[in-house]
Amino acid sequence: MPELRKDPIIGRWVIIATERAKRPDQFGTQAQQGPVEKPCPFCEGKESQTPPEIYAIRPKFTSPNSPGWELRVVPSIAPFLRVEGDLERRGKGLYDLMNGIGAHEIIIESNQHIDNMADLSEAQISKVITCYIDRIIDLEKDRRFKYVLVFKNYGWIAGGGRIKHARSQLIATPVNPKRVKEELVGARHYYDYHERCVFCDLIKQELESKDRLILDVDGFIAITPFAARFPFEVWILPKKHSCDFINLDMSMRLELGRILKKILSKLKKGLNDPPYNYILHTAPFRRQKVGYWRSIDYDYHWHIEIIPRLTRVAGFEWGTGFYICPLPPEDAAKFLREVDVG
Amino acid sequence: MSELRRDPIGGRWVIVDTDHPNKPEDYEHEAHTWRGGACPFCYGNESLTPPEIESIRDSHTSPNTSGWQVRVVANKFPALQIEGDLDRRGVGIYDMSNGIGAHEVLIESPYHHKDIPDLLNPEIENIISMLCRRALDLIKDKRFKYIMVFKNYGPAAGASLEHPHTQMIALPMVPKNVMEEIKGAYNYFEYRERCIFCDLIRQETQDKERIIFENKYFLSFCPFVSRFPFEIWIIPKKHNGYFCHMPPEEIPALASILKDTVSKVKNVFANPAYNFIIHSSPINGESGIEGYHWHIEFMPKLTRVAGFEWGSGFYIVPTPPELAAKYLREGTTYGT
Repeated sequence: MPELRKDPIIGRWVIIATERAKRPDQFGTQAQQGPVEKPCPFCEGKESQTPPEIYAIRPKFTSPNSPGWELRVVPSIAPFLRVEGDLERRGKGLYDLMNGIGAHEIIIESNQHIDNMADLSEAQISKVITCYIDRIIDLEKDRRFKYVLVFKNYGWIAGGGRIKHARSQLIATPVNPKRVKEELVGARHYYDYHERCVFCDLIKQELESKDRLILDVDGFIAITPFAARFPFEVWILPKKHSCDFINLDMSMRLELGRILKKILSKLKKGLNDPPYNYILHTAPFRRQKVGYWRSIDYDYHWHIEIIPRLTRVAGFEWGTGFYICPLPPEDAAKFLREVDVG
Repeated sequence: MSELRRDPIGGRWVIVDTDHPNKPEDYEHEAHTWRGGACPFCYGNESLTPPEIESIRDSHTSPNTSGWQVRVVANKFPALQIEGDLDRRGVGIYDMSNGIGAHEVLIESPYHHKDIPDLLNPEIENIISMLCRRALDLIKDKRFKYIMVFKNYGPAAGASLEHPHTQMIALPMVPKNVMEEIKGAYNYFEYRERCIFCDLIRQETQDKERIIFENKYFLSFCPFVSRFPFEIWIIPKKHNGYFCHMPPEEIPALASILKDTVSKVKNVFANPAYNFIIHSSPINGESGIEGYHWHIEFMPKLTRVAGFEWGSGFYIVPTPPELAAKYLREGTTYGT
């Protein structure tokens, strides 16, 4: 059983794999390990090579785990967390720990062997968005879970592995992750004082100044953030206030598919197909709980953060949480505005 | 002038290089190899670096010539600039200030191919005493609130030059991660009136399973909550908030445990890239440091941080620290 362990100093939880424990020779040295492609288990016709599907978008006359699907969700073959069992929170001397309970799912975004989401159609990307929403709603029913983190690792450097087939991942966690909590607390502080959403204020300022604006379409804007941690970091935000991604209606899902494709295509064309990560930032499950604030609906604002992996995070960044961004976000925005993707 | 900018949501400060911005084509995303050409850190090439700030050198030699054992120079491409005022200000909802600070490079030895395990103990002692000397000097500048000492070894860990070197950055504010650690330690101290690190040392020396080395003054171990596989902490057994206040008798003990520990890592992994960071108390008036205890955090670069870690701040450690410590103690060579 893997364990979750809490850092007694700053309160960060980590997952310790006990059964998937690796020996030292199972780690490759980055530079030496070339991206040799592995045979793909995610293409249509290879359904038996994955664990049984949890969810699929497929015609009614096809049966689960057979061809004919458009999108498929399967449990991870090597999950970081386990679905079965209880948390069993406990102490060990001055340390706190609990069992590594959670869900880890792989969203196979297409039945075609396409690697970059930028190359999927807008309609297909909006199906991926619908799938995220459906999975989050389903996982919320499990009361052990507090948060679902949806993310994508594209390309070797970004953790994309050796299978070059477009996919996203989601991990449901039994505690609110530290980064998520920090963002929520920050947004609440701002709201307490100003009685306005910090993201709404930010959108307003970015639309006025236009310096960091990449795209402004119906429903969404794409910007490079003022305090970008990475060169070409991009945020996509809904213009209308909403704390929770799952409330996105059908037309907005199409709209999001469109802007996501545009931005990913701009990155691909402008920066020579860079590896990237994207992360969906949305509100945690809001079940009634003592001591939990009720203003999340007003103070938090869901969005997507995209990080092209062009620089390496080194000792200084790890140690301080200070990031050195070698390119002003204004220049990055200008460059991305000018990349023509039709 | 570079800028410091603050994320209005998380409160995180970042440095934005507005002076020499990289163009998109300046980035490479393939594993990079070392630049060719003359190494600015080798003997005879002293003129290729900015003038030296301090050095330990043979008595008959003059600054910026050969004959040194350890040499400190200003970083040629500093992340922060030494001259000027902070000038904190607001831009709409955003906060910012000028990028003031010091950025120095300590060249660890004249030998291009010698890392810590290849040096003699007195050579490592020179590095440690020089780090302390530089820190004590930088503290005198009241604009600085924190001194960050770190090493990037190997391109995967962010090093751009092969010749082993350590860097020091003096910052005008206490960085977010450091502040969190200090606050956490302070809360513990408030409640128990004991240092959490001292308690942790006590528990680790009792448990023993995560310890790699122990000598009279220091302990090296894999922390219970590692963020990275084979993460190692080296910590003084005696409570001390500042690394630069290290008593002289501790310096040889630190040199020896550092050398032994890094040698073990290099036994287990074939010359891996790594980072280490010295965690020490804030300086110049940042109070509440009774509960803090300086230490070194050492991280071999074995995994890649991906979307989940970025988004959640949750780190996935594929080798439990107890096992990592065991592998390191045994020091068997795996793979090639």
